[in-house]
Amino acid sequence: MNIDKHLDAINACRFCFMCRHLATLGNVTFKEADTPRGHALILDKVRMDKENLKNPDYIKTIYEAPLSAACRFHCVSHYDEAGLLLAARKDIVEAGLAPEKVKELAEELKQVDFKLEGAGDALYYRDPYSENADAFKDCRIITGGDIGKALDILGFVDDSKAVFAKFKAAVEASGCSEIITSCPASYDMMKGKLDGVKVMHSSEYLLGKELPKSSGKAYCLDSDFLKNYNDNMSAPRELLEKCGYELVPFGTNSEESYAVGEGAVIYDKLNPELARKLCGRIVELADNPESDLLIAASPYTRFALNKFAPELTVVSLEDAVLKARGN
Amino acid sequence: MQASRESYSYEMIRSELTWAVGEDYVHTDESDKLGHSIDYYWVPELWHDRGGKPTPPDFIVHPGTSKEVSEVLKIANNYNIPVTPWGGGSGSQGGALPMYGGIIMDMKRMNKVLEIDTVSLTATAEVGINAQHLEWAIEKAGYSTMHLPASIGCATLGGFIAHRGTGVLSTKYGKMEDIIMSLEVVTPTGEIINTLPVPRHASGPDLTQMFLGSEGTLGVITKATLKIHPIPEERKFHAFLFKNMHEAMTAGSKIMTSRLRPCVIRLYDEPETAKLIKKVLGIDKQGAYLVFGFDGPKDMVELEMKQAAAICMEQGPEDLGFEMGQSWWDNRYKFFYPPYMFQLPQAFGTLDTVATFSNIEKVYWAMKNTVQDNFPEATFIGHFSHWYEWGCMLYARFIIDEPPEDPREAIALYNKIWDMAIRAAIKEGGVINEHHGVGLKLGRIMKDLYGPAFKVLQDMKKTLDPNNIMNPGKMGFKGV
Repeated sequence: MNIDKHLDAINACRFCFMCRHLATLGNVTFKEADTPRGHALILDKVRMDKENLKNPDYIKTIYEAPLSAACRFHCVSHYDEAGLLLAARKDIVEAGLAPEKVKELAEELKQVDFKLEGAGDALYYRDPYSENADAFKDCRIITGGDIGKALDILGFVDDSKAVFAKFKAAVEASGCSEIITSCPASYDMMKGKLDGVKVMHSSEYLLGKELPKSSGKAYCLDSDFLKNYNDNMSAPRELLEKCGYELVPFGTNSEESYAVGEGAVIYDKLNPELARKLCGRIVELADNPESDLLIAASPYTRFALNKFAPELTVVSLEDAVLKARGN
Repeated sequence: MQASRESYSYEMIRSELTWAVGEDYVHTDESDKLGHSIDYYWVPELWHDRGGKPTPPDFIVHPGTSKEVSEVLKIANNYNIPVTPWGGGSGSQGGALPMYGGIIMDMKRMNKVLEIDTVSLTATAEVGINAQHLEWAIEKAGYSTMHLPASIGCATLGGFIAHRGTGVLSTKYGKMEDIIMSLEVVTPTGEIINTLPVPRHASGPDLTQMFLGSEGTLGVITKATLKIHPIPEERKFHAFLFKNMHEAMTAGSKIMTSRLRPCVIRLYDEPETAKLIKKVLGIDKQGAYLVFGFDGPKDMVELEMKQAAAICMEQGPEDLGFEMGQSWWDNRYKFFYPPYMFQLPQAFGTLDTVATFSNIEKVYWAMKNTVQDNFPEATFIGHFSHWYEWGCMLYARFIIDEPPEDPREAIALYNKIWDMAIRAAIKEGGVINEHHGVGLKLGRIMKDLYGPAFKVLQDMKKTLDPNNIMNPGKMGFKGV
């Protein structure tokens, strides 16, 4: 089984409570099951007896995890509880036990058609959650769907590889040696997998451009992928500071995930009610929900908060840059 | 209770519970039941590890208000269903285990900070709040609870209150019973009551203190007002390596009886210095490691640090300096993360005991000799964690690297060590315990510890909880 490669995490996390304050979903459902300890206990049961993988309650819990990896980032030994959950999802798919909704989403995600538009030396990948590509007018644009990350997260590894191969072919066809994405999940997927092509997050790319100066206060909602999966990448905050934003710490701490399910890539589609609850926590923690400017480092986070917490003002990094320019 | 999930009576009760707290907040799924059938007690962990069947609750409810708590308790009384309050579930004594099934009342939904009074320096919060979340909220307002135990990330305020918890800085800022001002409690029969708003009064016995440490047996604590503190200008640490534990204890007790006010003193015996201090801090030396810290206005800290260091130097230790003290503070929680914490297949137990300075070393040696003489397979280590004007707490541990494979044999051995070691400690004036609580693990000792006075506690329980629904079988009280 795939989970057997993560026995260290099962053994370490099953009786450990040290990161429970950062259990993204557990903090809003209050369920013990929605914590790394809860996940590891379930998968320990599966390790002991494979039949337990068929337990529908266990499967549901595993697919409800938002995979923020905040706990792994916090852990002094960085036990890979997120990796364990992904392995469990692979096992579920390989055993033909994926829930109907997961299978339906997977079918949709396989339907990709990557297309190139415009002209430019650099290529900008516009992911399904990005509203526009206005900040990348000097780039060629590639669109056409998720590049395989969502399928990977759902446990459909082979399908994910097939989709990514199509994407890679389209990137190669563009002839560009640089690709930029606003989507941290896609950035995480592309990194090291596109031979001869430099992969950049949009914040890194925009940092190299001439930047406007704004003067407003704003709260930056970090990305799970950039923070917890990519060693706390500093570019998004640097970009906002260079644009003149005075960044105020959001909530009460910098350890919790405020990305409302970004780690699970399509969490709003798979678990909309839970995504709504995660967004509710952002409303609860905001200093002034009706007036604060929140800048999301991930297009998914911006999208989910706009959808489930419309009372908040949440913009993307790119929109924040454009706003500073007065656009 | 353990009603069949397929029975109509189960559905009847489930319906009533959902009316009380809402459909979203009654869980009966196997994922959550598994999580609530194991806490931080070694026995259920071992049982799970060896493939044993857990004892799950029938229902897990998350009340959102004191009124909802009251509603649930009324339903439980009506059907005579046991109710086990659950905070973070990180207790080490089995206090939150649903040993008879029934209802787990998971309090984490009651997680709001209700008021921060910056004039009196108090905060009022619902007790299901995660302790780290509470601390962060108080810090955002510019203060601190100064209750910073290793379990801060996992435990709730209610869990600390229910077990009379202690934080790392207890020597200056006190334990839960010193920190809490007043409580709101839902009694087992569903009345919502408040204790007096201040902890110092002459209006009869103190109800707040009665509920503190009651481990969910006398009702459900729902709100608490606690003291908060300004962030100190300075906090400094200083570490020493003494030739042996006795000399270090002499220094530590003199610091306290000189009435200096350190925020922390921690003393590790020679085996623990060799084992854990080496592993976590990298100090590979023979002797007993002692660290103390002071906080407050800079000048006062400097002066007290100097005096405490002078007391230590009377015993001729090696001065490890401020850096080695700071390093301990920086790594203070690391001891509790895997792989630094002991873990299965090891058998391990924390023989938490508290005694006066006159008795504490006798208690240490009584426990150590008992463990070593009777259980050669066990290692005994210990440190002295929480220091007061009159004595301190011994955080002794036994560890067996290879306990019996058969879980029944392993549990029998484990219980035997606990029993013998704790009874040896009691004989020397030790009290079990300082901050872990009693729970299921030590209930059997309560009668011996209290003597005839235990009847007072039993009568109190009977009066408040006539149907014995609240956490039965814990703290030495009657089971179902």
